Amino acid sequence: MLRILIYAAFAVLLIAGVASAAEERNSVVYDGVSTEVTASVDNGKNLWISMDDLKRSTHFVVKPQGVCRDELCFPLPAKRQADFISKRGDVTWFNLTAFAALVKQPVIRDEKNAVWFFGKRVDERGTYLASLEAPNFSLPDLNGKMHSLADYRGKKVLLITWASW
Amino acid sequence: MPGWQKFYHDLNNKNFEIISIAQDTGGAKAAAPWITAANPEYTALVDDKHLVTQLYGMVNVPTAVWINEKGQIVRPNEVAYVDNRFKQFTNIDALPYLDAIKDWVEKGDRSQFVMKEHEVKERLKAPSPDRATADAEFGMGEYLHNTGKAEDAIPHFKEAQRLDPDNWNYKRQAWALTDSEKNYNTTFMKEVQKLNGKPYYAPRTLPETKKP
Repeated sequence: MLRILIYAAFAVLLIAGVASAAEERNSVVYDGVSTEVTASVDNGKNLWISMDDLKRSTHFVVKPQGVCRDELCFPLPAKRQADFISKRGDVTWFNLTAFAALVKQPVIRDEKNAVWFFGKRVDERGTYLASLEAPNFSLPDLNGKMHSLADYRGKKVLLITWASW
Repeated sequence: MPGWQKFYHDLNNKNFEIISIAQDTGGAKAAAPWITAANPEYTALVDDKHLVTQLYGMVNVPTAVWINEKGQIVRPNEVAYVDNRFKQFTNIDALPYLDAIKDWVEKGDRSQFVMKEHEVKERLKAPSPDRATADAEFGMGEYLHNTGKAEDAIPHFKEAQRLDPDNWNYKRQAWALTDSEKNYNTTFMKEVQKLNGKPYYAPRTLPETKKP
């Protein structure tokens, strides 16, 4: 009788442990913006988030033609849909780290602080190599006013980086 | 910076703009004293996430890029001092570079200092996967540092340095945010001494000024 109770208690704790580890608040930093999401992490490496959280944190949505943001769509490999999309109960989960691997995007995890930092996708890097077009950016001046490199098209620009250190 | 202001003011050319961009995780707070002291008439921006360092694959400061009226790179990343105050350390003479800029401002794409497309392409390197990961590790470090987790940022800064060992920006910015002796077991001066003859900046190559 005691042994049964112990096993039952252990089973309850195990289930509770799994259930509580299954979904945790994490921060996703994507395109420099941080969003709190409800994350399910498996194997310490796979970050599953809800479709809602996917849209909120990355502005990507899953459409029939692939994972899309505005005009940009990345098709998912037909035979591996389950690697990316999983329906558990009412919620459809998306594997953001598998998607990052697909689009060759570095992902850095800080487990202690529950943060996942997503770097630049391969199509976002070295854009100047073919076209020689200087990459655009928008940054503030000391008054907080934003300036883009594109604002200066039509002038010669000497772009100089420096630092206080 | 006051040097660039004088240079810009004296050139007085409406078709030419200087955009100076502070690469400072400390943001406006770190950069403001310098900008305010120079009181520039040109555009001075603050980049607290090192976006330009990453977009242009830069590894050092001061680094300059020449961009023509069509938005094309005509001279990619080069060390750019406006005076010779550090010449004894850097072995870089500022004056020929300033003369080259003046020539470009005057002659535009006809200037001998504007590189041909194939020359620019030869100098531009595709960012390596390691560099891309280094950028992301550095970004994580900055995020943690700026959300009150300075100590937790350090392993990420160290990983960025490991993946992109020639990147002085990632070293010096990280060291500047903390006690570098204590947390990185080094200082800027010690690292420079370790160079042992290897140049701190990639050498600049300017064509010889053609005789008139």
